[in-house]
Amino acid sequence: MDNTTYRHSVSIGTGNVDCNNVTNSHNKIINVNNAIPDENPEIMQWLSPLDPRGRHQDVRTGRLDGVGNWFLETDQFREWRSKEGGADKAVLFCYGNPGVGKTYLR
Amino acid sequence: MIDGLCDGPCEEEIAVAMFYCDFRDQQEQTATNILGAILMQLLVRGEVPEHVRQVFQKAKGEVGGRGLRLPDMVQMLKRTVSILSQVFICIDALDECLPKHLLELLGTMKEVLEESPRTRIFLTGRPQVEAEITRYFTPRLAVPVIPKMHDIRRYLENKLEMDPEPVAMSDSLRGDILRIIPERVSEMCVGASIVPISCMILY
Repeated sequence: MDNTTYRHSVSIGTGNVDCNNVTNSHNKIINVNNAIPDENPEIMQWLSPLDPRGRHQDVRTGRLDGVGNWFLETDQFREWRSKEGGADKAVLFCYGNPGVGKTYLR
Repeated sequence: MIDGLCDGPCEEEIAVAMFYCDFRDQQEQTATNILGAILMQLLVRGEVPEHVRQVFQKAKGEVGGRGLRLPDMVQMLKRTVSILSQVFICIDALDECLPKHLLELLGTMKEVLEESPRTRIFLTGRPQVEAEITRYFTPRLAVPVIPKMHDIRRYLENKLEMDPEPVAMSDSLRGDILRIIPERVSEMCVGASIVPISCMILY
């Protein structure tokens, strides 16, 4: 199959009604038939219908700067964050009753 | 917390993935879907690695379905994490997850960790999910979250500054708000109350 098609494009001058300006041009259009279609959006949809980014934006917007900073100073957070701990320090669990601010820890 | 990880000094590229469990979305928040949402965030610059593409194409070719099964998801996640230098996975409100999904989720996190011990997992939830967490992760670090008096004050001060009707506010009312609410909140927390504090201090 010929990958190249030709299209005639016609433009008519509008500035002067008495003048028929006709321009013929060949615009070469190349159809790239062998390109891989972008299936990434389909893969993303297949991986999960859930998108937590909206919720994260809400949390970010609702959080007040400085509130919850104490958490970053705890030994547990520092041990978890440092790379030295290995698998023993890999999991950090923050627990509390509803509404105490777990989601908004800084 | 998540933004804090991203803002901190980073001498190497880190990948951070998060998920917020929500009881209103329990049916759809299966372990596979949650892990898929996490995996998506770990794909560097949105590029789909070849190993993920292969599983996708295989699933697509199968009769009757492209449904993703948990074992495939676990394999893809483990492989993706193992090729990244440092991965942080944060999951909020585990108690809002259905128990069967929660156990699958924690089981997978354990597998990921066994294969890539540098992975860091941050979990939050009500105290009652601790039993499930301990079942999969021992030892683990834990921090009780109690609202701090100065955090509550700061929050209240901010809300008062943004008061849409400041003429209705007097110095004495303002003083009372800043004194009484932090005191009450602290008392409630000592008494392990279940009243959501955010309901009290939010307008």
